[in-house]
Amino acid sequence: MKFESKAILLVLGIAVFMFLGTYFTMIVPLMDPSLTTPTEDAKDYTALELQGKRIYEKEGCWYCHTQQVRNLLEETQRYGMGEEETFKRFGVRALIQAPPTQPGECVFDKPHMLGTRRAGPDLARVGGKYDNSWHINHLRDPRSTSPGSLMPAYTWLFDIAGQPTQDAIALVAYLQKLGSNINWREEGVEQVKKLSSSTNTTEPTTAEGIQQ
Amino acid sequence: MTVVHEDTSARWFIYSSIAFFLITISVGLIMAIKFIYPEFLGGIAALGFGRIRPIHTNGVLFGWLLAANMGLAYYVVPRLAGTKLFSEKLGMITLFIWIAVVLAAVVTLGMGDTQAREYLELNVWLDILVTIAWVLFAINIFATIAKRKYEQMYVSLWYIMGTIFWTAILWIVGNLPVYSGVNDANVNWWFGHNAVGLIFTPMGIAMAYYFIPKSTGNPLYSHKLSIIGFWTIAFLYIWNGAHHILFGPVPTWLQTVAILFSVSLLIPVWTVITNFYGTLRGKWTQGNYIVKFLLAGTTFYLLTCFQGPMHSLRSVNQIISKTDWIVGHAHMAVFGAFSFFAMAGIYYALPRILKRSMFSDKIGEWHFWLSFIGFLGFAISLWIGGFVQGLQWMDYTISFLDTVKTMFPYYFVRMISGLLMLVAQILFAINIYKTVRSAPEQVTQLQPSAA
Repeated sequence: MKFESKAILLVLGIAVFMFLGTYFTMIVPLMDPSLTTPTEDAKDYTALELQGKRIYEKEGCWYCHTQQVRNLLEETQRYGMGEEETFKRFGVRALIQAPPTQPGECVFDKPHMLGTRRAGPDLARVGGKYDNSWHINHLRDPRSTSPGSLMPAYTWLFDIAGQPTQDAIALVAYLQKLGSNINWREEGVEQVKKLSSSTNTTEPTTAEGIQQ
Repeated sequence: MTVVHEDTSARWFIYSSIAFFLITISVGLIMAIKFIYPEFLGGIAALGFGRIRPIHTNGVLFGWLLAANMGLAYYVVPRLAGTKLFSEKLGMITLFIWIAVVLAAVVTLGMGDTQAREYLELNVWLDILVTIAWVLFAINIFATIAKRKYEQMYVSLWYIMGTIFWTAILWIVGNLPVYSGVNDANVNWWFGHNAVGLIFTPMGIAMAYYFIPKSTGNPLYSHKLSIIGFWTIAFLYIWNGAHHILFGPVPTWLQTVAILFSVSLLIPVWTVITNFYGTLRGKWTQGNYIVKFLLAGTTFYLLTCFQGPMHSLRSVNQIISKTDWIVGHAHMAVFGAFSFFAMAGIYYALPRILKRSMFSDKIGEWHFWLSFIGFLGFAISLWIGGFVQGLQWMDYTISFLDTVKTMFPYYFVRMISGLLMLVAQILFAINIYKTVRSAPEQVTQLQPSAA
C-alpha cells in the first residue's frame, strides 16, 4: 500500500512531519523561560505608551522600521550613541555601542514589533535619542528634520491648528520608551561623563568596554 | 463515457482573482511611487504607506494568487478524479465568502484595523470567515477525490490535499492570540515562511505538475522524483521560520537549525525542478505563451529557491537582511514563479471551460513579455540597490539618510518596472474579458484535452 494512493494516509504522513518541525522550532521555544523572563530594567507600558504602540501598529510604522539591534558590530555601533551626539552633549567624542536586542526586553510586546525591513532606521534604541519636540516636528514634516527622508507626513495626527493630537503625543511617548528596558543610555552617559572629566582630547574614543 | 464538467466555481474564482489582481497590483504601484515622491497621495490616512502595504500583500497573496489557484483546483481535481466536482453550489458559496473577505479586508486595513503581524493582519472576524471558506473548499475537494474513478492519485492531487491541510493548520495556529514578545515573532515567521513554503509553493507546484504535461503534450519526466520532492517538502519546510530573524533575539540553536534546514531545501527544489525541466524537454523554443509562462516560472522557482538557502547563511544574511534585496526575492517567488504558473493554468483552462479560443494570442504574448521584462527590471534593480545599501549599513559612519539616498535610482527603475507589470496584467484582464464575451466555437477546434 502506497501513502500517495490513500488520501487519509497521505494527510496522516504530512501531519506527522508538520508536527515534528513545529514541536522543535515553535513549541520548545514557547517552553523556554529565558525567552519570557523580563530583563532587570524592564517595565510594562504605561497607558499612554500602550496607546502609542497601538498607533504605531495601526499606521504600519513597523513595515519600514525594525526594532531589533542585531548581534552584529555594525549595528551596535550604528544604533548606539554616536560621536557627534556625545560631543554635542558632553564635549567629548565617544562611541557608545547599543546592546543587541535581548528576548527579555520584548516580553511586554503583544504583538511583537521586531519588524522585517528597514526603509527607515531601526528604532529599538531610539528612546532618549531626540527630544519630544523633534519627534513631533518629524511626524508633522519628516523632511524638516531629516532631509531626504522617505517617510510620509502624518498630517492626520495633527489638528487644524497644527497642534499634535492625543494620538501623536501617545506615539511620541511610545517612541521615547523604546530601548529603556535595558539601562544602556544612562550607563553610557555615565561613561562619557567620566571620559570628559578625565580627558580633554577631541580624538575619537571608543567606549566598547561598556559592552563587556 | 465522458464526464461533462460544469466548471462554474472554477471560472468565477478565476474571474474574481484577476479583478483583485488588478486592484492590488495598482496598490503596489502606488507604494512604488511613494518611494520616489513620499507625499504622493499624502494627507489621506487610508492611503498612507503603512495602511496600504498590507492591502497589497494580503490582496496579492489571498485575493489573487490563492483564489486563482482555488479556481484552478476546481478545474484540475475533477479531471484528475474522472468525476464531476462534488458540489458547484458549495463552490459558489465559498466564492461569495472569499469575495466578501477580500472586499472587507481592503476597507478594514485601510481604516487601520490590523493585528499588526505580517501576513496575519486581518482582524479576527475575517480570520473566522477565511477559515469557514477554507473548510468548505476542503470538503468540496476531498469529497471529489473520495468518489474518484481511478485508484492512483496523480502528484497534483497530493499537493492540493497537502495545501488544504497545511493552510488550515498554519492559519489557525498562526492566528491564535496567545503569543507575545520573541515567541510571537517566532510564531509569526513560522507562519510567514510557511505561507510561502506550504501554501503557495505546493499549490503552484500542483498546477505546474498538471499544466506542464498538458500544454506540452509530454509525459511526466519521473514519477519517482515527484514522490521524493513531495515528501521532502513536507518534512523540511516547517523548520525554517527562524531564518527570518538571524542575529536577532531568538536562541542561537534555533537560528542554526533554521539554517541547516534552509540549505537542505535544495533537495526538494532541485528534485521538482529536474522533473519540470525534464517534462518540458524539447519544447523550450517552440512553445506558445502558455509554455513560456511555465518555463519562465520554473526558472524563477529555481532561482528564488537557490537564493533562499543562500540568504540563510550568516555571512550573506548579515548584508542583505532587512534590505530591499528581500523585496526582490519575495516578488520572484510570488510573481515570477507561482503567479506565472497560475497565469499559464488560466490560459490553458479557460478556453476549455468556455469551449472557445483565447480572444488574442498576440495579447497573450505581450502579457508574457511585459510581465517578464517588468519583473526582471523590478527584481534586478532591488537586488543591486539592496546589496549596495546593505554594504553601506555595515559602515556606521555612513548616515542612514545617506544610505536612503543611495536607493533613489534603484527605486526609480523599480517604479517604472512596476508600471510595466501593471500594464501586462491589464492586457491579461482585457484578453480574458474579451474571451468571455466572445461566442463559443465548435468544440472540435480545440486540441483534445484528456479528462
